[in-house]
Order: sequence, then C-alpha cells, then structure tokens
Amino acid sequence: MPEETAGPEQAGGARNAPPAAVRIEGLWKRFGEQIAVGGIDLELPAGKFVGLVGPNGAGKTTTLSMVTGLLRPDAGTVLVGGHDVWRDPVAVKARIGVLPEGLRLFERLSGRELLAYSGRLRGLPGDEVDKRATQLLDVLDLAGAQHKLVVDYSTGMRKKIGLAAALLHNPQVLFLDEPFEGVDPVSAQTIRGVLERYTLSGATVVFSSHVMELVESLCDWVAVMAGGRIRAQGTLAEVRGDAPSLQNAFLELVGANGRDTGESLDWLGGGAG
Amino acid sequence: MSAGETTVPGNGVPGVPGNGTTGVPGNGTTGVPGNGTPDVPGITPVLVRLKLSLLRNGMRQSSGRRAAFILSGVLALLFAALQLIGLIVLRGNEHATTVVVLLTALLGLGWAVMPLFFPSGDETLDPTRLVMLPLRPRPLVRALLTASLVGIGPLFTFCLALGSVISVAHGAAAAAVGVVAVALTLLLCVALARAVAAANIRLLSSRKGRDLAVLSGLVIAVGIQVVNFGAQRLSNAGGLAKLDPVADVLSWVPPASAIGAVDAVSDGAYGRGAAQLLLAAAALAALLWSWERSLVKLMTSPDGSTLQAAEPARKESSRGFGGRHLPGGRTGTVIERSLRYVWRDPKTKAAWVTSLVIGLIVPVFNALQGTGTIYFACFAAGMLGIQMYNQFGQDTSAFWMVAMTISTPRDAYEELRARALALLVITLPYSVLVTVLTAALVGDWQALPEALGLSFGLLGAMLATGAVASVRFPYSIPQGSTHKNVAPGQAGLAWISILGGMIAAALLCAPLITLTIWLHVADADGWLWLVLPLGTAYGALITWAGVRWSAPQAAERLPEILSAVSKG
Repeated sequence: MPEETAGPEQAGGARNAPPAAVRIEGLWKRFGEQIAVGGIDLELPAGKFVGLVGPNGAGKTTTLSMVTGLLRPDAGTVLVGGHDVWRDPVAVKARIGVLPEGLRLFERLSGRELLAYSGRLRGLPGDEVDKRATQLLDVLDLAGAQHKLVVDYSTGMRKKIGLAAALLHNPQVLFLDEPFEGVDPVSAQTIRGVLERYTLSGATVVFSSHVMELVESLCDWVAVMAGGRIRAQGTLAEVRGDAPSLQNAFLELVGANGRDTGESLDWLGGGAG
Repeated sequence: MSAGETTVPGNGVPGVPGNGTTGVPGNGTTGVPGNGTPDVPGITPVLVRLKLSLLRNGMRQSSGRRAAFILSGVLALLFAALQLIGLIVLRGNEHATTVVVLLTALLGLGWAVMPLFFPSGDETLDPTRLVMLPLRPRPLVRALLTASLVGIGPLFTFCLALGSVISVAHGAAAAAVGVVAVALTLLLCVALARAVAAANIRLLSSRKGRDLAVLSGLVIAVGIQVVNFGAQRLSNAGGLAKLDPVADVLSWVPPASAIGAVDAVSDGAYGRGAAQLLLAAAALAALLWSWERSLVKLMTSPDGSTLQAAEPARKESSRGFGGRHLPGGRTGTVIERSLRYVWRDPKTKAAWVTSLVIGLIVPVFNALQGTGTIYFACFAAGMLGIQMYNQFGQDTSAFWMVAMTISTPRDAYEELRARALALLVITLPYSVLVTVLTAALVGDWQALPEALGLSFGLLGAMLATGAVASVRFPYSIPQGSTHKNVAPGQAGLAWISILGGMIAAALLCAPLITLTIWLHVADADGWLWLVLPLGTAYGALITWAGVRWSAPQAAERLPEILSAVSKG
C-alpha cells in the first residue's frame, strides 16, 4: 500500500491543496479471520465532493463507520477537521453529518418528527430546528409526506429524510454511505442538487458508491478501495489517468480488466444461430 | 408444486358428467346453469384439493416444521377427543346446557378474531390471491366455504359441536335438530372467519395489520389469565349456576343458538327451538351475503397497498403528546420520542401492555380471590420497571442516531435520565392506581403508605439496574419476526440482563423491606407511614445513582452497544 498511495499523495501535496477535512492513518479492522479494512491511509481535501468507490465488500461501509465513530477500529487514527474522532468526540460529532447504510431510522416517527427529534438531540433551539426542517422537507420534496410515518416511506424517501437529518445541524463534513442506492432518478436528482449546493459553500461531502458513472459525474476527488485497501486516491483526472473513463481505470486498478470472457463462452450468441 | 398440479387441470375434475361446456343444468354445485362459464362446476373440488395440497406442503418444508405441524395436529386432535369425551360425560348434568352454550359462543368468538391475529395462518383466507382468475362470486363463495371445512381447526370445531349436541340432545326430535345444529355451527364458525377476513383484508395486508399481529400473543396470554381466573372463581363461588343467565342470553346468539335449539327441543319447547335454529340459519345467510359482497368489492378494486400509499396523510403537530409541557433540550425530546414509541411501535406497545396488564391482574385478581395482600401491588412497579431494561435494544439499529449525538458522559446521563423519566410518566401514576385499587379491594387502607413506599423503592431499584443492564448487556430485538424478542445467539445475554437485574433490584430493596418488617415486628405500627417518604427518597436516590454510574460507560461503549443492538 505505501507505493500505491505515494503517488497521489505527493500530487496532492504539490498542488498546495486546502487542508484535509478528514485524515486517516493506518486504519485497521478485522472481523474474526477476515480483514475488512487492512491499514488505510487517506487524506480527503476540504470543500470537495469526495467519492469512495469500490466493489461490494471492499470495506467502504466499514471504513465510513469507523471514520464517523460508529465502529471502533482495531488500530489507526481518524482526524476530522484536525480533531481525533475517538479522543475528542465533542468536537467531531458536532462537525459531521452521517447517512449510514443498513441501519434503521426511528421509523415510527413521521418525517417531520424525525427531524425535530434529531435536531433537538443535537442541541439546536426548537424554533430553529422547525424552520430548517420545513425548508429541508420542501427542498427534498417531502413536504407532502412529512406527517406520514417513516416506516411507510419508500427507499428514495428514506434516503432523503436521512439526508435531511444529516444536514439539519449544518455539518462541515457529510458522510453518505451509498446515498443513491435504490433511489429513483427524480429523488437522485433532488439529492444531487442539494449536495452540490452544500459543497459550494465550502463544506465537504464524502460518499461511497459502486456506480462509476455517478462518481465520475459528481466528484472532484476519488479514492478507490478494494479488498480493504486503498488502491488509488487523488483528483478525478489523476485517478483516471490515461484510461477512457473512470470505469476502465477502476477495473484496471482492481485488477478485473483482464477477466475477458475470451473463448470460454464462444458458443453463446443467440442471434447468430 | 403440487398446488400447481391440482389447479391447472380444472376441466378434469370429477363431478362434471359429460362435457363441461354444455353447462349441465341443475348440477347442484353451480346453481347457475348455462351461464357460459364451463369451469365453474369444478371450482369447489379444485379449491378443496388446493387446500389439501397446502396442508401437505406445510409439512414438506423442513423436518422441524413437519414435526411441529404433526405435533400440533396430534395435540389438537387429542384435545378435541378429550373435549368430546368430556362433553359426553357431561350429558345429564344440570349445567350441561350452560357449559355447551358458553363453549360454542367462545368457539365462535375465537373463529371471528382468529383471522385478525393470524392473517398469514391460512393462505386461502386471502381472496385477493384468486383475483386474477375468471370466477363468479357465488360459486367462489361456495367453493371457498367448502374448502375452509378442510383442516385441523374445522375438525376440532366439529368434535366440539358434536360433543355439545350429544351432551344436551334428549330424544329423536332433538337428535334430528342436533344434526342440523352441528352442521350450522361448523358452517357459521368457518363463514365467520372468512367474512371477517374478507372484510378486513385491506387492513390485514397493510403494515397496520402486521402491527396488529404482534399483539396477538398478548391477547392470548391475557385471555388465558382471564379464563384461568374465571374458572378458579367459579369453582370457589358455588359453581356454574352463576353463569346460567349469561348462557340464557348467549343461547340466542349464533352460533350458540344452534346448540340452544337442540336443548330447547329436548325440553319440548319446539317453538323456541325453531326460532333459535332459524336465527342461526339467518345468521349464516347474512354472513355469506356480506362475505360475497366484500369479495366482489375486493376483486373489482385495487389492492390495499396501493390505497394505503394514496391515503391522505393525517395532520399532526410536531410537538404532540402535550409536548409543550415537556422540558426542553435532550430531556424533553427523548421523553417525547419514548412515549411516542410506546404507542406506535408494536413491539414496544406489546411489551408495555403485557406489563401493564400483568401488573394489574396479579394484585387485583389475588385480592378478588381473597388470597391477596396489598403488598402484591408492588408487582405493578416491578413489571413496569422491566421496561427500563435493554433500552437501547428497543431502539434497534436506529440507536446510531442517538450515538451520533452523545459525545460526553453528561449527554449519556441526560439520555438515560430522560428515558427513566418517560417511564415514570406512565409508571408512577399506574403504580399508585394499582396500589390504591388493591388497598380498596383488600380493605387495608392502613397499609397503603408503606405499600406505596415499597412500590416506589422497587421501581427505583428496577430503573437503576435497568439503566446499568441497558448499557452493560444490550441485545437486539428482531423486528422482522412477530414473536421473537431476542436475536439468535443473544438469549443468554438477555437472561443475564433481566434475571441478574431483578436479583440485584431485590437486593437493592432489601434495606427498605427489612425496615418495613422490623417496624411490624417491633410493634412500631405508628411509624409505618415513614416507609412512604423513605421509600420514595430511596427509589429516587438509587435511580439517580444507577443512571449516574452507567452514563460514563454508555458514552464509552457507544460502538459496542450499536453493534450489539444491530443484529437481526
């Protein structure tokens, strides 16, 4: 891994990029025999749209869980805005917003109640929470369903209400785990619009995905993950290199490009017969 | 697989002489001769065979399921046989009529509520599964009714009805009426279940219906308690004679009226018997009619899920539950969320209702039986205190939302304290109510202060140990399954948590109990009122101590708690 990350890191340093929003050093997590995350070093620039890409099982969710303080790492440090996630949770938790994948929300609350609950737990004044909630519900096109229980929401609506809850306290860094998974195109466009506007203000969005086209169209900066390690990190152009698209670059990095079907399926061709 | 095999050859079913396409007039099965739907005559046998296939396939899935199925079948049959024998033995007893009428009424009630609580119990109960088939309502009703007669439940009902008739029928006329009565009872029960299911299928296929199913175990548990108590009370208080008036009324309510008719005819009251029998028949006709109507409606309108989504959202303020009266900050927010969950989350609601009901039943029923003392009222506080256990498990993996907002032991302290307060909002008035009620029933007003003091002390101990156990031994409550409350592999944890916590709570209460006993023994009855303020203060103190002590651990163990409550 040192060789793999050295190039992009140097490139990032040379550009005199803004200070890192998130700095990860030597992050490890092992579940029994299986190494989910095997020593990650990452430096995510502030004010960017950062994509964490990788195939299923690459360790993206594990990494994001450890970075956001929801999972305790076996080793390594995580700094968000210069504060250690595990030693200084007060500073970190106020600065980040999270939309995890595979964890529930308080689904027996209505969308509006969920936002009211979430904002007040974070210590925001009630009036301010209600004002922000109204605006978020409007922008995310959830105003019509705000009094419905979240348990009756569709996948896209759940992602949107989760995003609203993550944005409510105006965090500096937003971590989204597969925010577009199972989301219809209309909701996806809405989410995109909100996120783009949010990064324009100087905030950082870190999101994971395995859809390359999406990452390519959204992100300024990407980190490619596979098998629990970082295979490349840098600006989109740096990671893409000479490859025609991020998809190709990714397949090459992951080592899946050579896996051509070749002659093994030479009989297949329903049209020819 | 075999279900498919039986449904496909719809034309080849027996009972259709000659060519089905001619629409054999007077075929008996159809009643709609020559209506141009050739497959209609065959629908009844097809559905019966479908039902048999479903029964058979139920056993085929796994050996465990087969064993469970066979065991439950054998048990049901044994029970039915015992009932049959018991009812036959009852023949000639002066209260035989009362017993069989009550039994039949209870049976009818059971059939009526069964589809509401076990919606998935019988797949053929869901008529929307047949919506794509070109079927007319009337033959369909007849076919479904016939198919419903197949199964363990109907067999059980048949045994009961038969036994009931045997125990009250005297004479040839009564026997003849009895045959009709058995058939009517059976058909009424089955039609009742079908009609209720069809009328509520929209509810049953929605989330609300699944929520309702979670409460089913509870209804049964409470029902058993009530029946058990009723039986004890009857055996104590001079027997069945007390129930005769109830039975008199019920013998005019179908399906019990069919059995009532047999009894009337045995007594020679032919007019009354005829009226009761007619009533049963009319009820059957009415049920079939309403069932047919809901079938038609179901088959010609969109299904429940579509309608649910289109339903207009109800208006509700974001600060309901008298939220304005709650304190601000984390405390009020958490209390509000906890109380909302007691009402809205089926699992939480079931747990609460169980605690509330058992906490009331034990002291009150004991008092009614004359075996109770006012100290049993502490049971209410103890039962309700259990709700403090596994607080974070009740959140499921949504606990991450809480974890993200806890950064200091102070946050954790406020979170746990707010949850304890939410519990107290319900528990405190309820314990007082139960204690006062028990005092009134036992007539022991003098002991009220000490009983209240002991209750509050116990409540405090439960809250304190509950807070500690919630942090130390969190475990998942699976949301998918209806009747499971612990995720696989965590049962030990759950037991340690609750059992250990209860023992610890009992130990914590020991000083208070010792004081009470000592005051009694030392003949210092005049000072017993002291237990109330002391118990209250003690309860408050240990609650505070328990929450205070567990808060730093909670703040420290957030990821571990999250992973423990996210399983399953």
